[in-house]
Amino acid sequence: MSPRYAELQATTNYSFLRGASHPWELVVGANALGLEAIGVCDRNSLAGVVRAWIARRNLPQGETKVRALTGCRLDFADGTPSLLVYPSDREAYGRLTRLLTVGQMRAKKGGCQLHWEDFLAHAEGQLALTIPPDRLDEAFERNLRGMVGELSGSIWLAAARRYGPRDLNRLSKLAALAERTGISIVATNDVLYHDPARRPLQDVLTCIRQTCAIQDVGIRLQPNAERHLKSPAEMARLFAKFPGAVERSAEIAERITFDLGQLRYEYPDEPVPSGKTAIQHLRDLSWAGAKWRYPDRVPEKVSKLVAYELDLIEKLDFPNYFLTVHDIVRHARDELKILCQGRGSAANSCVCFCLGITAVDPTKEDQDLLFSRFISENRGEPPDIDVDFEHERREEVMQYVYKRYGRNHAAIVATVIHYRPRMAIRQVGKALGLTEDITAALSNTVWGSWGDNVADDHIRQVGLDPKAPEIRRATTIAEQLIGFPRHLSQHVGGYVLTKRRLDETVPIGNAAMKDRTFLEWDKDDIDALGLMKVDVLALGMLTALRRSFEMLPPAANGQRITDIAHIPQEDKAVYDMLCEADSVGVFQVESRAQMAMLQRLRPRKFYDLVIEVAIVRPGPIQGDMVHPYLRRREGSERVEFPAPRPEDGDKDELRAVLGKTLGVPLFQEQAMRLAIEAAKFSGDDADGLRRSMATFRADGRLWTYKQMFIEGMARRGYAPDFAARCFKQIEGFGAYGFPESHAISFALLVYASAWVKRHHPEAFCAALLNSQPMGFYQPAQLVRDAIAHGVEVRPADLQTSDWDCTLEPPDDPRSPHRALRLGLRQIKGLKETEVLVFMKSRAAGLTTLEDYVLRSGLSRRGLELLAEADTFRSLGLNRREALWAVKGMTDELGAERFAPLIARQSVKEAQVLLPFMSPPKEVAEDYRTTRLSLKAHPVNFFRDELTKMQVLPCVALKTLPDRRRICVGGLVLVRQRPGTAKGVVFLTLEDETGVANIVCWKDIFDANRRLVMSSSFLLVHGQLQVAGNVIHLVAERFTDFSQKLTQMRDHEEASGAAPPSPHGRISSALVRSRDFH
Amino acid sequence: MALVPELVTAEAEPEADAEALTALADWCVRFSPAVAVDAPDGLFLDVTGVDHLWRGEAQMLADFRSRLITNGLPFRCAIADTPGSAWALAHFGKDGTIAPSGEHEPLLASLPPAALRLDRETWAQIERLGLRQVSQLVAIPRAPFGRRFGRAALTRLDQALGHEAEALTFRRPPTPWFARLAFAEPISAPEDMSRVTVDVATKLCARLETEGQGARRFEVCFHRVDGKALQLSVGLSLPGRDPVRIAKLLVPKLDTLDPGFGIEVVTLRAEAVEPISGRQARLDKAREATVEEGLAPLVDRLTNRLGQERVWRAVPVESHVPELAVGRSRPLGKPSIPQTWNREIPRPTRLFRRPEPVDSVIALTPDDPPTQFRWRGQVHRVHRAEGPERIGEDWWKGQIEDADVGHIRDYYRLEDTKGGRFWLFRAGLYGDPATPPKWWLHGLFG
Repeated sequence: MSPRYAELQATTNYSFLRGASHPWELVVGANALGLEAIGVCDRNSLAGVVRAWIARRNLPQGETKVRALTGCRLDFADGTPSLLVYPSDREAYGRLTRLLTVGQMRAKKGGCQLHWEDFLAHAEGQLALTIPPDRLDEAFERNLRGMVGELSGSIWLAAARRYGPRDLNRLSKLAALAERTGISIVATNDVLYHDPARRPLQDVLTCIRQTCAIQDVGIRLQPNAERHLKSPAEMARLFAKFPGAVERSAEIAERITFDLGQLRYEYPDEPVPSGKTAIQHLRDLSWAGAKWRYPDRVPEKVSKLVAYELDLIEKLDFPNYFLTVHDIVRHARDELKILCQGRGSAANSCVCFCLGITAVDPTKEDQDLLFSRFISENRGEPPDIDVDFEHERREEVMQYVYKRYGRNHAAIVATVIHYRPRMAIRQVGKALGLTEDITAALSNTVWGSWGDNVADDHIRQVGLDPKAPEIRRATTIAEQLIGFPRHLSQHVGGYVLTKRRLDETVPIGNAAMKDRTFLEWDKDDIDALGLMKVDVLALGMLTALRRSFEMLPPAANGQRITDIAHIPQEDKAVYDMLCEADSVGVFQVESRAQMAMLQRLRPRKFYDLVIEVAIVRPGPIQGDMVHPYLRRREGSERVEFPAPRPEDGDKDELRAVLGKTLGVPLFQEQAMRLAIEAAKFSGDDADGLRRSMATFRADGRLWTYKQMFIEGMARRGYAPDFAARCFKQIEGFGAYGFPESHAISFALLVYASAWVKRHHPEAFCAALLNSQPMGFYQPAQLVRDAIAHGVEVRPADLQTSDWDCTLEPPDDPRSPHRALRLGLRQIKGLKETEVLVFMKSRAAGLTTLEDYVLRSGLSRRGLELLAEADTFRSLGLNRREALWAVKGMTDELGAERFAPLIARQSVKEAQVLLPFMSPPKEVAEDYRTTRLSLKAHPVNFFRDELTKMQVLPCVALKTLPDRRRICVGGLVLVRQRPGTAKGVVFLTLEDETGVANIVCWKDIFDANRRLVMSSSFLLVHGQLQVAGNVIHLVAERFTDFSQKLTQMRDHEEASGAAPPSPHGRISSALVRSRDFH
Repeated sequence: MALVPELVTAEAEPEADAEALTALADWCVRFSPAVAVDAPDGLFLDVTGVDHLWRGEAQMLADFRSRLITNGLPFRCAIADTPGSAWALAHFGKDGTIAPSGEHEPLLASLPPAALRLDRETWAQIERLGLRQVSQLVAIPRAPFGRRFGRAALTRLDQALGHEAEALTFRRPPTPWFARLAFAEPISAPEDMSRVTVDVATKLCARLETEGQGARRFEVCFHRVDGKALQLSVGLSLPGRDPVRIAKLLVPKLDTLDPGFGIEVVTLRAEAVEPISGRQARLDKAREATVEEGLAPLVDRLTNRLGQERVWRAVPVESHVPELAVGRSRPLGKPSIPQTWNREIPRPTRLFRRPEPVDSVIALTPDDPPTQFRWRGQVHRVHRAEGPERIGEDWWKGQIEDADVGHIRDYYRLEDTKGGRFWLFRAGLYGDPATPPKWWLHGLFG
């Protein structure tokens, strides 16, 4: 009979830069070796235990599974020997997390400071293994005696054979020591990795930790590769001279009854009034809400749905969850006046609509019972509602959550920051002693952030030999390091709320931000354990929407729009606008790919927008579902539903799943339904698939599901190709999950923002400008778009502009729109606080130039910025005169403040005539100071020259036939290289007439890489590709015109050109593009 | 880097740059004794009254340029009446401009305001006002201009135009550590050569002593009548300036020199000069020399006899691999690593330079200590044993294919029945019958 063994000292990679294996690797490895249990003990942290627990849960059913024990290695700050601690039950676990919280709160972010007394105060129910130090001296024996005295019966001495010089000698000493103190030794292997092949990685981690190259790190490395998981038989052989030591580990494991599964969710019962049960309260609120939503009469469909959902909620015991979210949303909206919207599967319920958590009307066609379906698919997990708030005011909501639930019951979850390819290769290269330039070159071969391979030809491109051992060693180890956790950071807004003290469930530590704390587990951990989580997220578009609502005139009936739900629904004009791809600034659909899709999809109703939002995503693109859907929509392909063989099931079994999307799966939910309906996944398997999708990189189980999925569908007569595509899509979802429930909420914002843009373009533009930075486009494009929609845009002016952009009565009383006055916020470098002070003094009355300079409260620097931004026009000064005047007066600023009498005697000074500024220079200065110009488009100044070169204006593209070879030129607005497009680069050019979309295939890009990536003014020669309304120019060759923009800056008429000075170049580009990789 | 993958980057080294600039300033002394450093990348040379040595400014500049080009230095230069205008012309004018005396103003007229050595913010703002040439600045009234851009801007303008004087801080090059003796009659006898060696060393060392300096290296050079120079050099382990000691190190080597038709000049140059505290060895007999000072003469003699590489001191090196755990370091001076050998890890008193093969090893697999082995034909029965101590290879060296987790050494401390103590190791693990592990003896304990 083989001996029993449990490894009680395993370090995962959540002991950052020490452990060299993922928790799941250790669990899977321990299971394969036949260990009874594996104890995950990270240093003063429980960050990795949930991962191990999940990995254990995901082990194949049936066989005896290894147990994943939850433990921790405590390193003390006061010289007490380190301890491995295992809580034996739930209460002991709570004490351990409290202990860690105490230690972490004492230290800075990521640290933990513990003393022996702290442990003693929380020691009840803990099983402890003392880790002997390298030198077994008297001090240790004294310490150990003390510990044994306090913890008798639940303390052991950990003994490891590391293949050091005097192992057996040391073990005998330990055994003797244990005997003297009346305890026993337990065999462990002090595991750092699951497999000896990880030794190089572990050595590199040591180097990174010591910030030292491997050639110099010396004996700080482990001497050998022995610290891997070992089988019970091997452990028995190693400890043959110490009978009982190995078996004892299994006995200790048996005494541990605690399992993370015992941390069941316990909702806080904060918002329920006394005397009512939670479900009663929720019922009352929901019905009251239904009346508020439908003041005339609650439709029958709604009342039936609400009743059904409430029953479900009661049955599953979720009412507190809905009450909590409702409470937060209500407070934000009613007390704080913050715009917010919920999303997520549970959010798209009728109850949430009635509670005001979302504004998606469930009575609209095509909305089905997402909620109840969600319940059936997410068995046993709490519902998930993310709430978006205005991005500038989210902090207020967060403060409310703390206030309401208390810091003992609410905290932000962690985000695990993983090693990305660039960082991995950079640090590994450094640790291996590669020079700075080689590591930099290597890390630059990784485009974007999620490539998994540092491809060989890229390495060759930067002039390195991928076969050279130094390079290959670096890339191999870096690949292993990718995906390792690097440190914990706080999540943007995911809160965990508990009834029990939160620090009895998970350790809480300090964040880098002052007065912020966050817990050690991330979102996935929380989900897996079924703890309650509310996401308080920030969304720029909500800020912009609220701002635009505030600027809207009251409607004809005197009503004001204050909420998304007040916007008139299904407005034909809005859809007309979207069909034209006239969507600059509109939420989610303003990118170029989305614009192209708008023209093909031609949305006519709300649900079309839901599809629009979801379709331009990696899931459907990788699954090759986009084109089939479009073809069916256009009617060029028959709508049919894949079906199993008649003997294997109903031929319409997928009609219910895919009906809304014309037989093509587009949403994450549909893919999951396919697994259940078509591939006949059991409930457990579907659950497992969904989970491994969420943590898709963390374990290798997705591959098993892939086979199950494809074979399951093929067996029942589906085309294997269709099955494979569906699964590809699932994989795409895994990386960037985008379910229908989110798409619905987003589509509502698409509609709302499009409605504002269509009917009030001036308010829309002003709100977007006031909410910058956000969205896809720069202020210059937003302003140009507003002008194109008939809005009169007025320059920022000292006398009339506020900090924010404002609306003014139009010059032409017949104009449907008010005029947009740019705010002083557009001026680069100007401080908001300063402008607010200035606005106050201006309101008190400033008239003359002298007033503005001397009594406005503006600093010298602020005044100069205002002068250079040409805001003195209304005082009759151009920018040069203004700067001259301001500079001439500001030395009196101090005098005016401190000795008002003397300052009056300002000298009459000689008139100075400054050279007149040429128009191109004016525009260049506008761009330099405010990033946009209302005077002219920069390209305008080169039109004659361009025409001579037979360069067409962008607007001309609309009237030309397909396949024509032409040339356009313009400023580069956007560069994109989406990961799904196989190296294709998309450019957007802009000239004074409009924009042109350029497609640059990989070979052309590679040949012109530098130019394409850096040029700000580009001429593109190529072939036109016209498909309906979608017009692309496929680039063949480029001419760089960026130099022209520099000329514009130096442009000066009359006096003759000064020689361009070698030092005199202003290095920043006139126009900056937005680049997305 | 993403744009220009082939771009070679180098760390900015401002200190090294400053040093190089100082060195260049010293070098420029051949053109003018008055050289001022204009950090970070410029030099001023006051060439007033020295250009005649080159027969004119143009020839001087030409010589200057050709010498700089020979040295591969990129540069721009100009000559003008004032430092300010020369700076402007060098930075913004045509390279190599020589402004005729009193006529620099027209040359400056078309230069941009940045040429006036104004700070970046100021000249950028001046240009934004449309004032893009020095001539425009000269033309506008001084008072309003000064009011807006400050006294400093006016000063710079005046300095460039020569209306205001500017004082430069000139650098004085250090005196080289060099001594020279010339003889009326050429010498060639060996005794004479040793004597002049002492003389020239005494001369140089006297100077070293007055300035509180010592040197680590001395280079003596005998210049023969026929123009050939014979060189000899010695190094010291501690900086020194004792002429007798230095001469003693040099004299034995004089035999190797061929004086030919005679030596007319001898020079001695000291290098690696650094301050040493003055000692009064003769007056203060009570003070004992440190061990190092006492050893220094011996070490110097051994080194100069046997060669630099042959005299060293063993120091511990941090490595798990035993043969790499010893390093060589300078015989004197502090050891670079403070710690000593770790007593917890037993290592043999004598470690073989190359492990010696042993055979007939009897040991239990996989890794129990041997009970018997044969070394140099003699069988040893093991009485007591300890081990294994497992040491993995340095996987980061060599080819990737050659690295393997099985490449380990298991070391055993063995004591045979006669009390001899051995350090054996087995390279590799048992397991693959094709490649049975080999046993080696790596050292002996005392």
